[in-house]
Amino acid sequence: MQQKVKQWLEDGTIDVFLGYKKMDNHSLPHCFTQARIEEVDDLVISLDRYPLEKIAAHMTALKPDLNVGMLARDCNQRALNVLYIWNQLNPDQIHPINVNCCPSPLKEQADCSYLKPAAVGGYKREEGVDNTFQPEAFHEYGQEERLARWMYEFQKCIKCYGCRNICPVCFCKECSLEHGDLIGNGALPPEVPVFHLIRAVHMAGRCIDCGLCEDACPMDIPLRLLYRKVNEIVTQVFDYKTGTSATQSPFNILGDTVTLEPKPIQLSGTDNG
Amino acid sequence: MGDCHYLYGNYMTIKRITFLQELLAFLGLEGRVHLAWISSAEAQKFVQVVTDFTEKIRALGPNPLPAFSHNKKAAASEILKTVMGHTPESTAEKPPHQAGHLQ
Amino acid sequence: MECKLVPSICSYCGTGCGVLFEVIDDNIVNTLPMKTHPVNEGKLCIKGWNLHEHVNSFMRLKQPLIKTFGRFIKADWDEAIGLAADRFRNIIDQYGPDSVGVLVSAKITNEENYLAQKFARAVIGTNNVDHCARL
Repeated sequence: MQQKVKQWLEDGTIDVFLGYKKMDNHSLPHCFTQARIEEVDDLVISLDRYPLEKIAAHMTALKPDLNVGMLARDCNQRALNVLYIWNQLNPDQIHPINVNCCPSPLKEQADCSYLKPAAVGGYKREEGVDNTFQPEAFHEYGQEERLARWMYEFQKCIKCYGCRNICPVCFCKECSLEHGDLIGNGALPPEVPVFHLIRAVHMAGRCIDCGLCEDACPMDIPLRLLYRKVNEIVTQVFDYKTGTSATQSPFNILGDTVTLEPKPIQLSGTDNG
Repeated sequence: MGDCHYLYGNYMTIKRITFLQELLAFLGLEGRVHLAWISSAEAQKFVQVVTDFTEKIRALGPNPLPAFSHNKKAAASEILKTVMGHTPESTAEKPPHQAGHLQ
Repeated sequence: MECKLVPSICSYCGTGCGVLFEVIDDNIVNTLPMKTHPVNEGKLCIKGWNLHEHVNSFMRLKQPLIKTFGRFIKADWDEAIGLAADRFRNIIDQYGPDSVGVLVSAKITNEENYLAQKFARAVIGTNNVDHCARL
């Protein structure tokens, strides 16, 4: 890997390489350049993940003809694909070096989606939503209980916007989450559950299930579970796999026509949980 | 479908509404969003759909969300208590299943 | 084009969360939480997330301003400190030292906080010292 990066930097294939470097025992993202090529020897694949593609997007926004190489785990690669599709990055300028991340005995080709989440405390298990749930498992609760549990989680929100800020596929200049009429200003918690639902809806067809949002959430809201459900709906209803499908999501303006029909009003059996 | 004044309008609408219905169901707010195609010439159908939907909403009861937003965290806990029929602290038998299907 | 990711400490409160500044061509463009930092473990509050904004903000104060006839006029440090000292002297002479309080902040260092309380107790002569992070 180091050899390849050095070679790329030397023959001018790439101008910069985004990877990780150990610094005082912290593996931090680092930008390797030809001027300081000896640093490439310290290039590591860190277990701590940062949105490298976001940094790449910031750089190419300032210098459009920059060639960027970067370390790409499966999640980075999915994020790159989404950013290519939405014209935030040019695939010709990005040179990913794919690495298999998070080795685990469960899966040879493991990616971060299969990382074992941290154990969840007892109180959260009683009152809130267990971060380790899969969407189907959570759906086994009754309807009212689902709502109560989610509201418990959402009310913890301190509106730090961390989930949006760290998100590798969030690139809008103007964000609905900052819109004064949609989300009231200056109140905590932000209007529940509107804040989280707006973000969830906007993540449809974007979210690549990297889990950085949940990682960055200071209040430990199980965002990944919520967006997994979002992804599940997008996959089941629209047959669109975010991060691997080659077209823009079905929610795009002038997207494909669909064969869905409005659901009839069901007067009974509202609780199918 | 497709004969919307805004050309693609109803295709886009049904995508979003279907998605929203699924998502709200996941959060426990089922049946409160409904979509029907009614042309401006279909007065009868309009009345029918509105009547049906009103009936349904009435059956579902008032919107549960304000209870949560005003009384903050206490509300969630209280409601959970009533839903589960006992205080959360005293539960030993609850979780309907063990979590974490991690393959 | 040069991009550096500079580890630093959030300056907003006494917690001391680790942040990474994304510096592109000597301009701070973004802030990221430091995942391996023992204090915040990859999490930040809204102030930490927006650290980069005040650095290059046009609203940032770069020199002292003196309010004269209701308007802020740019001044130099000697003038501003002289004015503040004179006013303090007047107030203390007129109402006594306990009419002055010193409010310190987690944004300055321990040593500066020490100096500030020393200033309050030894120079002004009051025990009215408080800290914005007295939780």
